[in-house]
Amino acid sequence: MATRSLEQSLPLHLRRGERIATYAFIVIFALAFAAPLINAVQTSIAVGGFENYLVVLTRSYNGVSIPLTFLNSAIVAVMHATLVCSVGALAAYAFSFIDFRGREVMYYGVLLFLAVPATALLVPVYFLTGTLGLFNTHLGVALPEAVLTLPFAVLLLRNRMDDIPRELVEAAVMDKATHITIFRHVALPLSRGTLANLAALSVMWSLQDFLFPSIVLRDSQMATAAQAVQTIRSAFAPTPVESAQYYAALVLLGVPAVLIIIFAFKYVTNGISAGGVKE
Amino acid sequence: MTRVTTSKLTKPRGGSKALPPRGGVSRVALKGGWYAVGFLAPLGILYSVYFLFSFGILGVVSTQRVGLTFRNAVDVGFQNFVLVAGDPAFQGALMNTIAFAAFSVAVSLSLGFILAMMLASGIRMRRAFYTIFLLPSLIPMSLFATVFGRMLETRDGAINEFLRAIGLGFAAQDWLGDPTAAYVAVGVIITYAIGLPIMYYSTDVAQVQASVMESATLDGASVWQIYRIMLFPLLRTTHITVILSVVLGSFRAFDIIYFSTAGQPGGRTDITGTYIYKATLGLDRIGYAAAASILVLLVALAFSVVQIIVRRKAL
Repeated sequence: MATRSLEQSLPLHLRRGERIATYAFIVIFALAFAAPLINAVQTSIAVGGFENYLVVLTRSYNGVSIPLTFLNSAIVAVMHATLVCSVGALAAYAFSFIDFRGREVMYYGVLLFLAVPATALLVPVYFLTGTLGLFNTHLGVALPEAVLTLPFAVLLLRNRMDDIPRELVEAAVMDKATHITIFRHVALPLSRGTLANLAALSVMWSLQDFLFPSIVLRDSQMATAAQAVQTIRSAFAPTPVESAQYYAALVLLGVPAVLIIIFAFKYVTNGISAGGVKE
Repeated sequence: MTRVTTSKLTKPRGGSKALPPRGGVSRVALKGGWYAVGFLAPLGILYSVYFLFSFGILGVVSTQRVGLTFRNAVDVGFQNFVLVAGDPAFQGALMNTIAFAAFSVAVSLSLGFILAMMLASGIRMRRAFYTIFLLPSLIPMSLFATVFGRMLETRDGAINEFLRAIGLGFAAQDWLGDPTAAYVAVGVIITYAIGLPIMYYSTDVAQVQASVMESATLDGASVWQIYRIMLFPLLRTTHITVILSVVLGSFRAFDIIYFSTAGQPGGRTDITGTYIYKATLGLDRIGYAAAASILVLLVALAFSVVQIIVRRKAL
């Protein structure tokens, strides 16, 4: 079966009318989708121009410095992705390659937590973070984020590992390889693409997270970009100049995610698609 | 297909196990149990602490009247559950969560599907369009919803200004003050999240055999007919994926509501997420929030069971 990538078209030959209608439909919706972002950029330079960006990059608002939020977000995101990929890969290997009693039951037990909403864990995460002494630490945010991502990670990676030909494993076993050796030299290398996809998605999800930073990182120096959207709000007066600067701050807070979408597009989209149901 | 292949491969291995000289294989198999413990330990620890222990904490706290300091707790039995279940605001939030999830599924299966098919049909600058549709889903939702929320303002919000500018001033609404208008606004922002469904459809439609569509084209079918009659049924498993992922996402749609309408007017657009958040950080009613959390978790876990069953049958 020939497989086409996203870059290739379906073998449909649009007639003139069909093509015009298609382009019109797509362009209208693309404009509608881009409108909020265009509006934000327009408003940010309406009064004061691009100097607003210099202003908000160099000042702090309610103790929050925007460049520092990028650093905080990056640290949390890397921790989150590292936890998810490492713990997820180990667990997926066990479910895929090791035959033990109750394997499938445990696997579905893991997937059961796919639908747990972060808000339902607010109270216990607050309690646990205090107990573990993790308030105002990057790990305090990365841990609950990672736990909520792990069900998806295990699903994604097990699907990949199930596709690894068993002949490779049997050959390794004949050479007296242990599970640790098979994991390091067979399963991990062949899952590298999926791990890259998972890492990209984990970073995206971490950058998006507002809930856990808002309850764990009370120190303004620790604020993440998603959290800063709320934290800095009251620092801007409702005047034309400061409203424009507020929008400049919002645009800047979205820049890291936009850059990742542009440069890691393949990994993000592959990760999204690979998580689906297999035929 | 994967299952069939796996079962074929399994038989030879079973046969080889029967041969006495290959005791090494059985030795590895025997060690599997302990290896499994080792490989699963990190996951087990994280799950035990952040899920199981969390559920325990919720169970205890939900029977108390207590604040965020967790001190001076007073036992109140199941009073918190009675109060939450009887609260019209919680009932409304639960209904909203379900309604918004249903709307999200509907718009994903219709608009998401159509846009994905069109993008796959020879459109130029495809990647740019994918990026535009994905952006709202991948930048911080707190950010996107804040910008959108500002656009909703009655007097100088961009939406009403745009409507007046194109001569539709009568359509300008008090988006945050009128319940019906607020629901429309939430529906619009939910629609902005169809980037992920578009990706699912676009990737899966790329797997459809070319000859199927070529023969339909030769028969004179229009592209709309091909989309509706041929491709929509063929992408059945993708619909399942989209429904499951969208509903899962809806359980986590806190930011969308909190930063756009903040539950206005008067809590009418609250979902369970914003309800719990306000109870926890706004009202400092931790026992109450814990009881609400347990009720929400029961619904979420019930849905998880359903999706596991559906997913199994889909494989």
